[in-house]
Amino acid sequence: MILLEINNRIIEDSLTLKFNNAAAGNKPEAIDVTIADFDGVLYHLSNPGGDKTKVQVSISLKFYKDLQEHGADQLIKREYGSFLTTPESGYNVSIAFDLDHLPANRDEVIKKAGLLKRNCFASVFEKYFEFQQREENSQKRAVIHYREDETMYVEAKKDRVTVIFSTVFKDDDDIVIGKVFMQEFKEGRRQFQQAPQVLFSHKEPPMELQNTNAKVGDNIGYITFVLFPRHTSPAARDNTINLIHTLRDYLHYHIKCSKAYIHSRMRAKTSDFLKVLNRARPEPKNVEKKTFSGKTFKMN
Amino acid sequence: MSTTLQPYLKAVRQTLTAAICLENFSSQVVERHNKPEVEVRTSKELLLTPVTISRNEKEKVLIEGSINSLRISIAIKQADEIEKILCHKFMRFMMMRAENFIVLRRKPVEGYDISFLITNFHTEQMYKHKVVDFIIHFMEEIDKEMSEMKLAVNSRARISAEEFLKRF
Repeated sequence: MILLEINNRIIEDSLTLKFNNAAAGNKPEAIDVTIADFDGVLYHLSNPGGDKTKVQVSISLKFYKDLQEHGADQLIKREYGSFLTTPESGYNVSIAFDLDHLPANRDEVIKKAGLLKRNCFASVFEKYFEFQQREENSQKRAVIHYREDETMYVEAKKDRVTVIFSTVFKDDDDIVIGKVFMQEFKEGRRQFQQAPQVLFSHKEPPMELQNTNAKVGDNIGYITFVLFPRHTSPAARDNTINLIHTLRDYLHYHIKCSKAYIHSRMRAKTSDFLKVLNRARPEPKNVEKKTFSGKTFKMN
Repeated sequence: MSTTLQPYLKAVRQTLTAAICLENFSSQVVERHNKPEVEVRTSKELLLTPVTISRNEKEKVLIEGSINSLRISIAIKQADEIEKILCHKFMRFMMMRAENFIVLRRKPVEGYDISFLITNFHTEQMYKHKVVDFIIHFMEEIDKEMSEMKLAVNSRARISAEEFLKRF
């Protein structure tokens, strides 16, 4: 699998199980699952108030406050409307399903539940895409600290939307491999004219972030995506959001895969070398000798 | 460039074959001790002249001999950043398993990427010509492995970028 999935399989599978169970008329069972997703996001599947006929899905994002500034609440309301309930304590958004009154379009609802995280992110992008579609300049830049040391900046201009990811490479080798990947991303436009422009800056923030107090360091990289009207148009919008919001995880996932592959190659090669070296040992000669009276003994 | 590979390996092979004539020699300095003289370097009369065989500035082999031991240090070609880290990773991987490798030294000599230490005890247990074969085989395979790993990283980068960007 080259691309990361944007929906959460675990949620989808658990809900499918519960819904099918209820539809078949079986007695509902209790559920209490805590799931972790990328970027420190936690989900909690439970029965609110111990009522087994109701299933609640809660999501907690450390950076929800940043998202709320850009209209996350409205978007969640729009998408999940009737299923929204008061957020569970310690979580930011909760949606609940009544197993006794299953919604008619079960599969669609399950899919939407799996996209909770994506929908939380979507609000920022949609707001800035709107700015660009109306050909306005956004006055403020959106700053989302979606991970411990990593931030995402979104800004809209008349003819483009710029999304800048700051990412930290924990390992020095990661920096080198990361650079190889970013080089290929930069050249992607040559092959695919429809792709957005990608720029990469190592150690220092790019021009757009010059006067902000954006982090500087040896192991910090800034990835800039320039999205053009064809990416921000209402028709292409959802697709663009799906692809962009997991970019950082996508990059680091592939860097780790490369390292794992290199490691397995090294292991194979090393055992290869050992085999060749062992050829240098002479085989132990087993000589059996017999004495005149018939006694045999082995010589090594 | 590859036209220089065969003469380079031939020169290394012949130097090794000559230098790998080792015999048991107890330490002159400490009673009842037997140490590889090329590592200890206390008695100058037991050490042979070190020989460096260079293919170019970056690739060379240093062969230091003595009466009971032989040290071979190899500097591997590293053209760019990614080759450097791949080489570094690979050498570290093998040196951690030096015990299994018997003839491998845990730390490379200054200025080189990997070092081997062959003592008279090793030559008593193993065929000398096969040990030399191993070293030459090692040198050939390392270069091949480096370029294959670099190719793997580059193609993975290209494919993942392609997959990502073509969906826009």
